[in-house]
Amino acid sequence: MIGFGILKGLAVTLKRFFQTYLVSNKLGRKHYFTPEGIESRYQASTEGIFTIQYPEEPPVIPEEFRYIPFLLYELNSEGVREYRCTACGICAKVCPPQCIWITRQTDPTTGRPVPHPAEFTIDIDICMNCGFCAEYCPFDAIKMDHDFELASTTRVNNRYSLEQLGKPVDYYAKIRPGNYLREESARAPKKQAEAG
Amino acid sequence: MDNVNPNKDGMVIPPELQHQVTVTTLDKIYNWSRSKSMWPMMFGLACCAIEMICTAASRFDIARFGMEVMRPSPRQSDVMIVSGTVTKKIVPYIVRLYNQMAEPRYVLAMGSCASGGGPFKEGYNVVPGIDKYIPVDVYVAGCPPTPEALLNGLMTLQKKVESESIATSPWYSKKSEPIPVPLLGPDLVDLKKIDLFPVQPPVENVPDVQLPSADGGAA
Repeated sequence: MIGFGILKGLAVTLKRFFQTYLVSNKLGRKHYFTPEGIESRYQASTEGIFTIQYPEEPPVIPEEFRYIPFLLYELNSEGVREYRCTACGICAKVCPPQCIWITRQTDPTTGRPVPHPAEFTIDIDICMNCGFCAEYCPFDAIKMDHDFELASTTRVNNRYSLEQLGKPVDYYAKIRPGNYLREESARAPKKQAEAG
Repeated sequence: MDNVNPNKDGMVIPPELQHQVTVTTLDKIYNWSRSKSMWPMMFGLACCAIEMICTAASRFDIARFGMEVMRPSPRQSDVMIVSGTVTKKIVPYIVRLYNQMAEPRYVLAMGSCASGGGPFKEGYNVVPGIDKYIPVDVYVAGCPPTPEALLNGLMTLQKKVESESIATSPWYSKKSEPIPVPLLGPDLVDLKKIDLFPVQPPVENVPDVQLPSADGGAA
């Protein structure tokens, strides 16, 4: 029959429409603006409307979601950022779109290079979120972020400096707990060898 | 959605008159009505367009922002979402579509390619950022930006629209904003000015080449 497929498709829409009211009656306010409600609407088995109302309802982000890279730092006893980055430049070399620029610090008295970055710039309008930098970094110093709210009204603001890119290690442990535990356990024997 | 305060900033309404009297400015009503019905142009270039289409679908649903009417005509649209890699071949058409849009018009550069060229920034056929050709209002980073990131960009655009004023708007003043003309810069080839296919003078006195015959041996 001509048009049967269209009717079948419209029936799906109509079914969803009525299910929305049934589900809202059954679950009430719990279905919206709560973590459980968002989680249930992400499932394939959800009934009724499945819109995630983004600004009010944060999306569920999987651990391996990646956006823009960030640099890990630890605060030392004086409250100064100690970046894990050693300015080796491997990330800048592997970066496919070449959006990383690094300059290494030099010792002011001897003029010799110091394994710390003086400048570290990532142009987030060129970065293609591939994650190669995080994959290749031998010091676990650069990792991929979960923050995607990066819209800006000027282009120059999108060239992130060392200050803007730096995020504490605790933040990394929060957004990627599994990866963090695995990497820390791999680093532990090396740290012990250095200490002892 | 949070309720919009329609009153003028700093205007104190007595409690007994609240929800009955509103004192506001023309700017506020004007910007409120504009920002809550930004109609994007139905126009996609590359993989970012897939995310833009996804944003219009039920999971993310830009109808919640009054943007569900994707217009296929530049005359009826307010915002142009440049979604994807801008090649040198498509730049003249993008600029032409932008020029055909009625003012006030806005441009949102979606993704790395439209904002800064992305991985193709040194490519022979890709423009390193659309902002060299048309004024861009909002840059959305990502490759491609997730639908939520695009929604965040559109909300940034709404905030920008709400901060504008009729008194200073260029589209009601006598002098109109300059219409950008695509600059065919040093790395863009102006086809009108170069002889891509110079006409070869007819060659005379060339002996006929003997083609091998069908049954193998040369004649």
